[in-house]
Formats: sequence, structure tokens, C-alpha cells
Amino acid sequence: MSLESTARQLQSTAFSQQLQATPWVVPTLQTIHIVMIGVVFVSILMIALRVLGWVRGEQPFLLVWRRFAPFLWTGLVVMTVTGLLLTCAEPVREVMALSFRLKMALLAIGVISAIAFGRSVRAAAPAAERPFPFGVRLASVATVVLWLIIIFLGRAIAYDNSVWGHWSPAVLQRGGTT
Amino acid sequence: MRTPPPFIHAIESSAVGEWMRSNVLAMPFVEASHVLCITLVFGTILVVDLRLLGLFDRGRPVTRVAHEMLRVTWLAFAGAVLTGALYFSANATTYWFNTAFRFKMLTILAAGLNMAVFQLITYRGVAAWDHAMATPRAARIAGAVSILLWVTVITLGRTIGFTKGYDFTVPAGVDFDFSAGGGS
Repeated sequence: MSLESTARQLQSTAFSQQLQATPWVVPTLQTIHIVMIGVVFVSILMIALRVLGWVRGEQPFLLVWRRFAPFLWTGLVVMTVTGLLLTCAEPVREVMALSFRLKMALLAIGVISAIAFGRSVRAAAPAAERPFPFGVRLASVATVVLWLIIIFLGRAIAYDNSVWGHWSPAVLQRGGTT
Repeated sequence: MRTPPPFIHAIESSAVGEWMRSNVLAMPFVEASHVLCITLVFGTILVVDLRLLGLFDRGRPVTRVAHEMLRVTWLAFAGAVLTGALYFSANATTYWFNTAFRFKMLTILAAGLNMAVFQLITYRGVAAWDHAMATPRAARIAGAVSILLWVTVITLGRTIGFTKGYDFTVPAGVDFDFSAGGGS
């Protein structure tokens, strides 16, 4: 399988080998990754709850967006960088996990929809103070659920066989909880 | 292997511990929920801490920020304790003797203490600086210490996963090959 051989190739590069040989690298990257999930998820949650009108009702929506968007984008960038480095350190474990593949697909949807949402928010600024229509409210709930699934899939990578059984493409089971 | 106190043994051999070990889906779901709860605890407290530091939400009363966020924080913290307890029950002995686990518990205690001191002393006079961008020094210290402690909690939590090791002693003369490569 070509995806697997690519992962194996990446795993044998000097850079990957160096990451693997340094014991503190993976735990440290994972810690930064988790801290950033906190920043990104709470930013998304607050924006979504404001769309629903549950929090920050006294603040204009655009202000809420401007307040949390920098955290959202910064968090996403740091998360992407640490995620890429983690994948470089353990390419086979990641690429051969169904949870990882699903996570990447949902992540693409999540990021693209966040960018699209940001653009439409700026464009619709003057009208943004009326209560949001049902479709937008539904989309904000869907976004929160999407990120919940992304977070769950991230943790499930370590348990691909248990979670997905024979659906898991993993050939290398490390059986640990790291 | 060292012998843990009887209550640790009781937790590990309880029906809950047994269920956590025997159900293949239990561990991944409990772990994922634990991570989710912790990210919510951290993220929501961060908003309050940054307000205390005067770095975020400066135009908003401190009491309003705290009231709004801490509801989510407590709910998520309860979830983290519950999932953490389930996690613990599966391998209580291993966690009991794990240094990173012990320091994590102490750090959570320290974070709670920091919060209690802030609530009982500094926060009493909040009316005077509720709307102020510049909060008193004690409030800023509490905010900074809180961020530091919660990042430490997450760091130690991740360290446990890499240090709890295997729950047995490798017999003398037996060479395990953990370098993998040919697993089934």
C-alpha cells in the first residue's frame, strides 16, 4: 500500500529518527497540542454560544468574533505545527490509524468552514445584530459537534484496533496508551 | 512489585475497575472524554485568568466573565474527575506508584488552593475593580499562577502515559524487544 510505504519512508528519514530518539519530544508536543485544543475549542464554543444568544448578549457579535478569532487562528496554527511534527515523529502509527484519517478529513471541513464563516461575518457586519436565523444557529451547533468528534478521534488514534476493529488499517499495534 | 495500600487494591479489583479493563471501548472513550473535559477546564479558566491579567475582555466586568466561564469550568471539572476516577480504577496500583501521577494530584490541589485564596481574599473586594482594566496585583498573580499550574497539570498528565510503564518486573536474563517492526 502506497500510503503505508510513504509513511515508512518518512519514518526512516534522519529528521523523524531524531525526533524518535529524543524521549521528551513526543510528550512535549502532545502537551502543547492539548493546551491549544483548549484555546481553539473554547474560542469556537464561545462564538457558537454567542450565535445561539446564550452568552455575551450585551456584546455585539462582531466584537465577540474579533475577541476570539485571534486565539482561534493562533491556536490552529500552533496545533497544525505540533500535529505535523507529531506525525513526522510517528508517521506509521498516525497514517495507519483510521481515527487519524477521519480526523484529518473532518479537520479540513472544520478549518474551511471557520474561514468561510469569518469572511461572511465581516461581510454581514451591519446586519449582524439581529438574532441569527435558524440555519446559522444550526451550523454553529454542528461546528461544536464537529470539533468534539475531532478531539475524540485524536485520542482514539492510540486505540485504533479497539475502536475500529477490522476497519483499522493499522499493522503496527503498539497497544499502549501513549 | 510494591504493595499498595488496601484501598487502592480494593479500587482496582472493584467491578468498575474490572469493567474498565475488560471492555475494549471503555478506555478510549473515557480517555477521550477526559481530554475533552481538561481542554474545557483549561480554556475556560484561561479566559478568566487573562481577564484578571488585564489581557483579555478588558471592557467587561470581571464578575460577569468569571460567572459565565466558571459554570462551564465546574461542569467540565466534574467530568474530568469522574473520567479520571474511571481511568484510575483500571490500573490503580500503577497510578498510585507513578511519580507524575502524584505530582499531578498535588498540582491540582495547588490550583484549587490558589483559587480558594483568590476567592476568599482578593475577590471580596472585586466591587472596587470590577470594571477596571488594571486589576490589583494579587488578582494578576492569581491569574498567572493559575495558567502556570493548569499547563503543569496537562504536562504531568501526558507524562503519566509515558512513564507508567508495564505492570510487571522483567525477569533476569529475559530480553524484550520493544523496537517493534513486526507486530501482528
